[in-house]
Amino acid sequence: MSFFRELTKGFIKENPTFVIVLGMCPTLATSTSVDNALGMGMAATFVLICSNIMIAAIKNITPDKIRIPIYVVVIAAFVSVVDMAMAAYVPALHKSLGIFIPLIVVNCIILGRAEAFAGKNNVINSLADGIGMGLGFTLSLSVVATIREILGNGTWLKMRVMPHSFDPMLVAILAPGAFITLGFLMAGMNMLKNRK
Amino acid sequence: MGYLGEIFVMAMSALFIQNFVLSRFLGLCPYLGVSKKLDSAIGMGLAVIFVMTMASAFCFLIQQYLLVPYHLEYLQTIAYILTIAALVQFVEMVIQKNSPALYKSLGVYLPLITTNCAVLGVALINITAFRSDGVTPYNFLDATLNGFFSGVGFTFVLLAMAGIRERLEFAPLPKSMRGMPIGLILAGTMALAFYGFMGFKI
Amino acid sequence: MKYYIQLALTLLIFCAVGSGVLAYVNAKTKPIITERKIKEAKEARESLIPGSDFERHTAVADTEFEYYVALKKGTKDAQGYVFTAIRKGYAAPVKTMVGLDKDLKIISIKVIEQNETPGLGTNSALPAFTDQFKGKTDAELIVDKDGGLPGKSIKALSGATITTRAVTYSIKDDINILRADLASATGGVK
Repeated sequence: MSFFRELTKGFIKENPTFVIVLGMCPTLATSTSVDNALGMGMAATFVLICSNIMIAAIKNITPDKIRIPIYVVVIAAFVSVVDMAMAAYVPALHKSLGIFIPLIVVNCIILGRAEAFAGKNNVINSLADGIGMGLGFTLSLSVVATIREILGNGTWLKMRVMPHSFDPMLVAILAPGAFITLGFLMAGMNMLKNRK
Repeated sequence: MGYLGEIFVMAMSALFIQNFVLSRFLGLCPYLGVSKKLDSAIGMGLAVIFVMTMASAFCFLIQQYLLVPYHLEYLQTIAYILTIAALVQFVEMVIQKNSPALYKSLGVYLPLITTNCAVLGVALINITAFRSDGVTPYNFLDATLNGFFSGVGFTFVLLAMAGIRERLEFAPLPKSMRGMPIGLILAGTMALAFYGFMGFKI
Repeated sequence: MKYYIQLALTLLIFCAVGSGVLAYVNAKTKPIITERKIKEAKEARESLIPGSDFERHTAVADTEFEYYVALKKGTKDAQGYVFTAIRKGYAAPVKTMVGLDKDLKIISIKVIEQNETPGLGTNSALPAFTDQFKGKTDAELIVDKDGGLPGKSIKALSGATITTRAVTYSIKDDINILRADLASATGGVK
């Protein structure tokens, strides 16, 4: 598979959130506003790229029986690096993402791609896969966040987009709104898929 | 308030007011993806309760007696996740030996408990949590009990969900709504219902 | 058996390498984080009681409670006090920075950290809520829902009584600890 193909499959055809259905926890929790979503997406993408590269690079020296614990250690190390870097350089984002930053280590997307792809492919293709999946995740996260932020707060990227007379639908920012928004979005994706 | 009252507050919080799945968004993957059969949901739930309780206990001890005294807090993520992985491996071996039928029905979801956000989540929450007076941080017993009740909260919602989805199989839904979408909307409705518990003063 | 030891050793090596990398990153980032926290706290104090030098004290009776005496710049005159009150709100601890004048009346407060329900508890950080604390003494720090008299109490946020109580009573309790410490022999300006 060409590099370009690996890169773009993560956007729509194999979108981690809507198609493979992985990474639900952060999707629902951090999509309260678009800037949170972008922050989480970027952090997860960084970890995904790094871990994919690393795991593809060491796949020949990892004994098969303990490959999962080793993958986990690699991912956990990168997540800790991201955690410390964010605390130092983007403290406001670090605070609003909270425990979901260390929870990137159990983001099924990262371990899932490590197991399904990076452990079996070379470094270049794994890099492409990492970028594609990460950006796809960020994209779907932003779509959900856009809907929730506009409906629930009247803003987009903290800029007011709805008229002042608009009374925000608070439930969109709260937990139930997250589930319901995602549910309808998935139904929409299914509709598009079934039509083809 | 007495310690028994304290435990009651913790239980109410973990089960209803700040339910792990419906309020905190932790433990969603098995919640949405696990088999729509009630019996495997029960098996999964019990396994998760056990892992969450043990993980809370071990991770708390590691934090208090290893990471903090030696200023190794930056190793928290690695230490916790390895502990959880080891625990899950142990549970897997025990179940395989004692109940092969359960082992087979849980299938791939058993090792997936390692990546269940709820397990790592509760271990992390226990470190920054406070008791009902708002100032005393959790001690070892608090942390372990919180792990237990959070697991029960997770299982409780898991069972409710599985039960409803079993019935939903026979409902005439539009094709694009089947499976994940209706599951999510269902979760949203349940979350909405649980919002009624907010502000419950004990 | 030897095979398992080999596996465990491999895993251990990976862990060691990982830990080494993290130790390095930690050494690099920790000073930045600590320095920024100190700077932020100092700026917050100065915004509450401008024109002061701050002297740090720890209460004798409750060594977890620390407060700052605001001395008029260049003098040893105490013109006020600053402390941070922490209490668990609905979801997580709420941190409020409080500036008092020398009679222990509130000058102003600032909610510096909270993770409460968006749209409800998060309104505790807005001036519409915090402004009502200005000029109040600790006797007036009762939430109206708990029997406070109008004008001499704190109006609860709609849908966020727990958050309101956390802020109000954490401040009230801390003022009492401060008062007790100032009255004691070792409290107050050195």
